[in-house]
Amino acid sequence: MKKKICMLGAFAVGKTSLVERYVHSIFSDKYHTTVGVKIEKMQTAIGEEIVDLIIWDLHGEDEFQHVQLSYLKGSSGLIYVADGTRKSTLATALNLKEIAEKTIGKVPFILVLNKMDLQDQWEIDDLTLKDIEDKGIIVVQTSAKTGDEVKHTFQLLTKKMLDK
Amino acid sequence: MSSKTAESKTLDSLKDLMLKPEKEQIQRIEDRLDDPMVRAKEISQTLPEAISLSIINNNKLSRVIQPVIDESIKVSVKNNPKALADAIFPVLGPGIRKAISSTIMGMIQSLNQMLNHSFSIQGLKWRFEAFKTKKQFAEIILLHTLVYQVEQIFLIHRDSGIVLEHVVTKDAITQDPDLVSGMLTAIQNFVKDSFQTDDEDGLETLRIGSDRSVWIENGEQALIAAVIRGTPPLNLRIKYRELIEEIHIKSGAALKKFNGDSLPFSIFREQLKDGLHFQEKVNKKQISFLTWFIIFLILTSLGLWGFSLFKTNMMWTGYLERLKNQKGLIIVSAQKNQGIYHISGLRDPLAKDPLNLLQKEEEKRIKITTHWKPFYSLDPGFILQRAHKLLKPPSTIKLELSGNSILARGKASQDWIETFQKTALTIPGIDGFEEGLIQNIDKEKLNNTVKGLMAIKVYFENNSTNLVKEQEQRLTQVYQKIKAIQMLQFKLKEPLQIVITGHADSSGTEKLNLKLSRNRAENIFNYLTGLGINSSFLTISGVGNNKPLKKENDKDDRQYNRAVSFDTFYLLSTKGS
Repeated sequence: MKKKICMLGAFAVGKTSLVERYVHSIFSDKYHTTVGVKIEKMQTAIGEEIVDLIIWDLHGEDEFQHVQLSYLKGSSGLIYVADGTRKSTLATALNLKEIAEKTIGKVPFILVLNKMDLQDQWEIDDLTLKDIEDKGIIVVQTSAKTGDEVKHTFQLLTKKMLDK
Repeated sequence: MSSKTAESKTLDSLKDLMLKPEKEQIQRIEDRLDDPMVRAKEISQTLPEAISLSIINNNKLSRVIQPVIDESIKVSVKNNPKALADAIFPVLGPGIRKAISSTIMGMIQSLNQMLNHSFSIQGLKWRFEAFKTKKQFAEIILLHTLVYQVEQIFLIHRDSGIVLEHVVTKDAITQDPDLVSGMLTAIQNFVKDSFQTDDEDGLETLRIGSDRSVWIENGEQALIAAVIRGTPPLNLRIKYRELIEEIHIKSGAALKKFNGDSLPFSIFREQLKDGLHFQEKVNKKQISFLTWFIIFLILTSLGLWGFSLFKTNMMWTGYLERLKNQKGLIIVSAQKNQGIYHISGLRDPLAKDPLNLLQKEEEKRIKITTHWKPFYSLDPGFILQRAHKLLKPPSTIKLELSGNSILARGKASQDWIETFQKTALTIPGIDGFEEGLIQNIDKEKLNNTVKGLMAIKVYFENNSTNLVKEQEQRLTQVYQKIKAIQMLQFKLKEPLQIVITGHADSSGTEKLNLKLSRNRAENIFNYLTGLGINSSFLTISGVGNNKPLKKENDKDDRQYNRAVSFDTFYLLSTKGS
């Protein structure tokens, strides 16, 4: 089983670092700035089922551009990434969610708040978080630096995609 | 009859009462049925729905209507071709443009290759091949340059970029197909978005370097991407086109519902593999055994011919070397012309015949013509040989060279000595001669004969000029010796005189004895001249008893002194015996 997923988020929220240590890639980071996407592969298993995740790591732009919209086509799941230490990135992520849903319809997704290792600079309060979770959005806090929760996030999304 | 009419009227009234509305309805229906315009109007309202229903039910309408449409199109084209042309132009235009552009691309490609290959060694080879096979040069180029290899084929789900199937040749080096396929899809999207093209197909060809390209054949849900090395023919694209169409026909539904499970598409694996297989076009001609055999034969005969040539050449040089070392031959030129060797130069008449210097085997292999001009070699051997030829010395003579002088040693006749003296200086290569070592046998003979003559005495009776009896043989000897001496002295040109001296014994007077002895000498003189001896060669002398041959003691001694003796002297020269 192969699933295409996209990673979306504002610039420098840590999308690439998040997956870096778990994925297999043959392309250089140059592709991010040239084509606007870098494709990676991660293998995960849910029970007996082995799933190859084809991760389209989209170049983070603060303003989502037309070019990238077509990259979303055929995605089975999406990961929105925001930087917990920059509140604006959360807004960007939610905005991206709106646009993505308009483009390809509803697919399983997860909202990731990255950089949880930097708690002292944390800008997102519990209230905001609760508001989001109340909308039925799954939020996972991760640290690309320590690797906390990263694998779990992908597994969670995979599970959701298979359950769909 | 009237009642019947009335009855009928009543029935009609009843009918009218009971069935009037229906009657009117039937009348209306009849009117409708009879009036084609009304029917047409009605059908026109229900036709679209009817067609929709027909499409749902087995598409029967399409089949039924097809001949009508075909016919209509024909009529339309016949009556007004422009209308149809206008109608299909927007569809046809892009199609034709596409076809033309791909043809031109192909032509440019071939032209490029032709130019690239025109002047290379490869190009020359191909020109030769074109000449040999009587094919066009361009055709040969195409034949060689259309060597290609499809290395990989991806079947890709178009939206997600996920690989549905991937086949690869044994020896191709490949990257993770999922990643390649994803990135390829991304790039296709990127290109489409960047250039805002309306064309649904997007990218069709990626060229990588000079000899690798990716051909993309887009279908609605999936696409085929073929990674090709070399220059494939354009009809390959049609094959991929057909394949992607077939995949859509067979698995269109599965493609639409694709959720990441690529298993259903493995049924196309073999067909995709065929896509790899039928492209492997290596135009290697197998060289048949016969060709090898012929090549072997040619090489062998070339080898033998070469060896024979080498051998002949070796013989030729060997022969030339021998000729050069041969005395009396000077080679001016030696060359081969049309298989025949020509030698020209100078040759001493005494030199060996150059053709005799050829050994038997050489004679078989080398055909030679010669052209010699005579000359005299100054080689000592040749000079001596020439001298022998000219002088013809007797076996008792040995000729030697001392510098440029010729020297004769041994015994020879006066005649030969004279020849030697006369001829020696005329021999080419000789400017002097030496005869001092020649023993003149004629002279020896003369000396010996003179000695023999001088030993002979002819005896006379007492006081008489009569010969003592039985001396005929002695006289004959005298005659023969004198005759010989006469001949030899003539030959030797020595003015020798023979003196016939008459003697007497001591008895009688001196005066008488003188006369007697002279008469005795005259007697012999007469005898000799009578036999033909030249008288001028003979001198007579009478010495009486003044010069006795022996001291007289008895009568035998006296008889001994009654004799004639012989002697010689030279007239002018002092040379004596």
